[in-house]
Amino acid sequence: MNFSPAIEDLIQALRCLPGVGPKSAQRMTLHLLERDRAGADNLAAALLDAVNKVDHCQRCRNFTELDICEICIDPRRDTSIICVVETPADVLAVEMSGSFKGIYYVLMGHLSPIDGIGPEEIGLDRFHRRVVEEGVSEVILATNPTVEGEATAYYLIDLLQGDGVKVSRIAHGVPLGGELEYVDGSTLAHALTGRRQVE
Amino acid sequence: MRVKLQPAFVLHSRPYRDSSQILDVLTAEYGRLALVAKGSRRSRRGGSAGAILQPFIPLLVSFSGRSEMKTLVASEMASNPLALGGDRLFSAMYLNELMVRLLHHHDPHPVLFVAYADTLRALNDEGCQLHAQLRRFEFTLLCELGFGFELAQEGGSGEAVTDDGWYGFDADYGLVHLGSPSNGQRAAFPGSDLKLMAAGEFGEPVKSTAKRLLRLALAQHLGDKPIKSRDLFRRT
Ligand SMILES: [Zn+2]
Repeated sequence: MNFSPAIEDLIQALRCLPGVGPKSAQRMTLHLLERDRAGADNLAAALLDAVNKVDHCQRCRNFTELDICEICIDPRRDTSIICVVETPADVLAVEMSGSFKGIYYVLMGHLSPIDGIGPEEIGLDRFHRRVVEEGVSEVILATNPTVEGEATAYYLIDLLQGDGVKVSRIAHGVPLGGELEYVDGSTLAHALTGRRQVE
Repeated sequence: MRVKLQPAFVLHSRPYRDSSQILDVLTAEYGRLALVAKGSRRSRRGGSAGAILQPFIPLLVSFSGRSEMKTLVASEMASNPLALGGDRLFSAMYLNELMVRLLHHHDPHPVLFVAYADTLRALNDEGCQLHAQLRRFEFTLLCELGFGFELAQEGGSGEAVTDDGWYGFDADYGLVHLGSPSNGQRAAFPGSDLKLMAAGEFGEPVKSTAKRLLRLALAQHLGDKPIKSRDLFRRT
């Protein structure tokens, strides 16, 4: 038996979501049509609304409905300190910590040559120009402690060298509440390399 | 098929489903393989379950499965992770890109595995000669793929390469003697350098020759798509 064309279309459409295979897409579709028509209406409207309104901030590339996002135009933020992150979710994570008062630059990815993503694809040279033109005083590299995140950080360190900008890399290591015994060796090695002297 | 504690390196990984990854690995005895690491992106007490499933960490992996794609059953570190930074990290990424582009799945390359592990270990040393390591690996890779060529002999005639001769490279024959010394020609290689390379020298004395020759030889097999890792080196 085949579902009607409209149902099939919805199942196919849902498969664009990460981790959604044919079975899950079918389950979601039947759920929306059978048990949650109002939810389906909402989802359709919200999806359309977001796609129409959300774009990249012209300064930090984060998602925003404005030309320049709320963080970038906030007069209380220190625009001379830029924190470089990989994704919008990372901005949210740093914001939650409440300890950063500068602004961000969102790469929307990381260097991954095997996937065809080089410095140009994530706009590293454009970021460099901006740092120089705007006289930024400090750049904090908060890319992930993966090989790709590290490579991105090293590339930026090299790029920014000699521009009189203070460059730092966030420390990676043992999570708060983590037990050493359960921390894997590579994380521990990272934590040891990035150790700080106790004052 | 059930394999236990196989020495391996992750070459590349991509997210799969909600919390899993598909790993592209190079193993000691089974060559390049695709492994599904289920739940490896889920966090675990005090760390992430998949934190060691990263490139450049010597691993022991156990896997099973009958299909083309195997399932990772267990993994542990075989020795300490390498501390690669800057150009040494970019070089290691270049090796991975070359292998992902040129190696087929399920072709065993035990010699290449050892060469790769040795090269990574050498790159771990901050004072190492990067280009010498890369060129030696490139040559080993070509040989392992069946695209090797003699460095001390002409491919067609089999005649020995001479110190003052000039040679060109042909994908089918290997080195070919050029009639006249052509210093300005980009694809001409001096015999004296080739003889040094044949004796195992890939470093400073033959730097330019080795780089041009191996790039030319690799280009035959890489096709039109550029090697993206080369963009990472800004000043070399
Ligand atoms: Zn912004």
